[in-house]
Amino acid sequence: MSAAALTTRPPDPALLAWLGQAGEPPTSADEPAWLAELRHDAAARAPDQGMPTQKSEGWRYTGLSALIEQGFKPQQKPISALQSEDLDKALIDGLETYRLVMVNGQFEPRLSQLDGLPTGVHIGGLAELIAQDPDRLAGQLGQIAGAGQHLFTSLNTANFADGLVMLLDEQVQLDRPVELLHLSIGLDEPSVAQPRHLVVLAAGAQAELIERYLSFDQAPYCNNAVVEIRLAERAQLHHYRLQQESPSAYHLSGLYLEQAAASRYRGINIGLGATWSRTDLVTRFLAEQADCGLQGLYLAGDRQLIDYHMDVQHQVPHCSSRENFKGILHGKGRAVFDGRVYVARDAQHTDAAMSNRNLILSPNAEVDTKPQLEIYADDVKCSHGTTVGQLEPEMLFYLRSRGISAPLAQRMLCLGFAGEIIDALGPEPLREQVTEAVGQRLEQSPL
Amino acid sequence: MSAATEYDHLVRSEYEHGFVTEIESDTLPPGLDEQVVAAISKRKGEPDWMTDWRLSAYGKWLNMPTPEWAAVQHAPIDFQDISYYSAPKKKEGPKSLDEVDPVLLETYQKLGIPIEEQMALAGIAVDAVFDSVSVATTFRDKLAEAGVIFCSISEAIKDYPELVRKHLGTVVPPTDNFYAGLNSAVFTDGTFVYVPKHTRCPMELSTYFRINTAKTGQFERTLIIADEGSYVSYLEGCTAPQRDDNQLHAAVVELIALEGAEIKYSTVQNWYPGDANGKGGIYNFVTKRGDCRGARSKISWTQVETGSAITWKYPSCILRGDDSVGEFYSVAVTKGRQQADTGTKMIHLGRNTRSTIVSKGISAQHGQQSYRGLVRIAGKAEGARNHTQCDSLLIGDTCAAHTFPYIEVKNPSAKMEHEATTSKISEDQLFYCRSRGLSEEDAVSMIVNGFCKEVFNELPMEFAVEAQKLLSISLEGAVG
Repeated sequence: MSAAALTTRPPDPALLAWLGQAGEPPTSADEPAWLAELRHDAAARAPDQGMPTQKSEGWRYTGLSALIEQGFKPQQKPISALQSEDLDKALIDGLETYRLVMVNGQFEPRLSQLDGLPTGVHIGGLAELIAQDPDRLAGQLGQIAGAGQHLFTSLNTANFADGLVMLLDEQVQLDRPVELLHLSIGLDEPSVAQPRHLVVLAAGAQAELIERYLSFDQAPYCNNAVVEIRLAERAQLHHYRLQQESPSAYHLSGLYLEQAAASRYRGINIGLGATWSRTDLVTRFLAEQADCGLQGLYLAGDRQLIDYHMDVQHQVPHCSSRENFKGILHGKGRAVFDGRVYVARDAQHTDAAMSNRNLILSPNAEVDTKPQLEIYADDVKCSHGTTVGQLEPEMLFYLRSRGISAPLAQRMLCLGFAGEIIDALGPEPLREQVTEAVGQRLEQSPL
Repeated sequence: MSAATEYDHLVRSEYEHGFVTEIESDTLPPGLDEQVVAAISKRKGEPDWMTDWRLSAYGKWLNMPTPEWAAVQHAPIDFQDISYYSAPKKKEGPKSLDEVDPVLLETYQKLGIPIEEQMALAGIAVDAVFDSVSVATTFRDKLAEAGVIFCSISEAIKDYPELVRKHLGTVVPPTDNFYAGLNSAVFTDGTFVYVPKHTRCPMELSTYFRINTAKTGQFERTLIIADEGSYVSYLEGCTAPQRDDNQLHAAVVELIALEGAEIKYSTVQNWYPGDANGKGGIYNFVTKRGDCRGARSKISWTQVETGSAITWKYPSCILRGDDSVGEFYSVAVTKGRQQADTGTKMIHLGRNTRSTIVSKGISAQHGQQSYRGLVRIAGKAEGARNHTQCDSLLIGDTCAAHTFPYIEVKNPSAKMEHEATTSKISEDQLFYCRSRGLSEEDAVSMIVNGFCKEVFNELPMEFAVEAQKLLSISLEGAVG
């Protein structure tokens, strides 16, 4: 919508400062020309995109003032204090993965575990790869996201320092999931990390990717991550994204997905942490028979805002997409869901369904949901559904009558509600970890 | 489908009600400033407070931005190129039908709404609006017996100033939006209804609007007040002559339901939609809002929208009173180059308030249609309940249908459901009907009527028949 463009104002100098925008982009002399150009274009675009305000359609329920007030600064030095013992508490028992660890947005090879990768697979740090093979990612990195949905993607493009690169050759199948672990440690000066990830699966390749965001302490910081994913013909990716940051963290993330013919993407987004979080999921189909599934579960409690934005673009015929998001709101929690399915004139035989269901458990919680369909083709099957409600008193009564305490009964019902999404997480240890985390949250929080 | 071209010529059937009545109009020259606002007020013989109200609305309107968020496209409107007042010339106000200009009566007959017949047969009181001034008001005496006031708003301003002054602009304030502000400054006429306490209005009230005189924007203002425990059903139907210039229609409708009162407001809108290329046609930018002020009050909107080049309309309910009920039933058809951005707002403020939204959109040829709705459940709206269903039917591969629902819930005891689907008429359904010997056109008409049944069921009998006929005519052959 053009409304967004009309109602933005020029970027706030204070905000640009903390995002490293005021000075020169951190182009080092040894960066290849294509990358310098990419950064330059993004930096030039940022002022036009402008700082969103609540008058911009995409941000009407998501205020930015709390984020701006924090005055986050770009981070200068890499963190090296973390030892491998510290890592243990971040790991999930029984989960065997190829692991790439990022600490405050910097790849940390010491903590990563990438041994035994099969041939035809490249997994490693972004900065490292650019240094070794400067032109390998030209024409890939930055192309899927393009200008992005808003200012923050451009700021990431202009300023990112490091991230994950995951490249799979044709027909390669990974025997274990890849785990991308973001660890954040609060610094004396509240800082922002802007990791940038690129995942490219060649024809017929298959992989599982686990993307986790964790905090090591309670100090405020901000993550502004961008993930670009390109799936070639018949490629398949299962992508599990777990945002479990501390209650003082700020989380921004943009996922840009491009799917070729008959490719399949399954994304599961779990949002439990951060005081303020905003996730944009943008998907685009390049050819027929591609299939995209986005699922999500969010839990927003005291003074938490969790915002999921989705933009599913059907530009070609015969593709299908499913979006299924569920939310539990308690305390003073707030959630925003804004999903848009766009079906272009030529995208006949599109099959798209969007669903957003919310449980409100407290009188101070709030949910704002906006599932939109924009359809220009006639031979399509599109639907969306939204519900907001509380737990059925009959169900609670039944459990109470069986001798189960009220809080436990409530927890059981909430877990049952969330179960549909949690069950879609592939690796069993991951499912257990999320079930436990959700259960704990419900137990601790006043409902 | 191969039959597409055949259908195309059928769907291009000329607008049935397209003709212009030659009647001398008393029209202000185009343009808008304070003098024009004051002149309108003076010409209508309004008291000073009304003139001041208009002027203050005009002052505020000057500072309002034109809304640009709707998913419709049109050339910018030159508000100085519109004549803001047009009244059929007459020597004195007619006291009975005999005194009404026979040309006018003939116009109504051409439209198929012979006033006398309707008076006699249907028992409907018709307050026919010809351009901007009420020409004939019928059954006034019978209504007066029941204590119901049913008159034009200009009469009401003169005869019942306390009622008008107390309620005008309380539901849709002049600052509400650009077009409501404009309307507040320049509205020329409209309808006023007051139903006294514990009274059931003895008949369905009805107004037929017609826009005549090219380049005359029609700014209607309707105010309906249902006092405690009363009931009224109001029917609004529209047709307009075929003209080349875009005509702006920016009406404001305010409904007020006090404790235990019920207002049922039905609309069939069939204004000139423009020709096959989208030239001409009415811009229908309407603000309609009902305020369920008292406990257990109910406001129900039903609309069938088949006309207008651009429709921009969101009949809304503010559910202020506890246990109040809001309903919105809508069928909207866009074909040719028509654009419609329509929907509703249900604002739940009171406890145990309930609302139902059923919206059916049918889009054919190059029609563009959006459902835009807001359901807001405030923190204090304990036990609020909403069910929303919006379905779109697409006919042809060049039309479009969009759904933009906004849902804001701040109360845990609220129950809110929204569902929407978009599809075309299924081949199976068509095949089944065809195999039973129905022509494709009849089959489509049947299926579409079935698709809209939930809404038609809500229309008063007289309108339901008209609406079904209108829908069939609108969609004749637009299917392939």
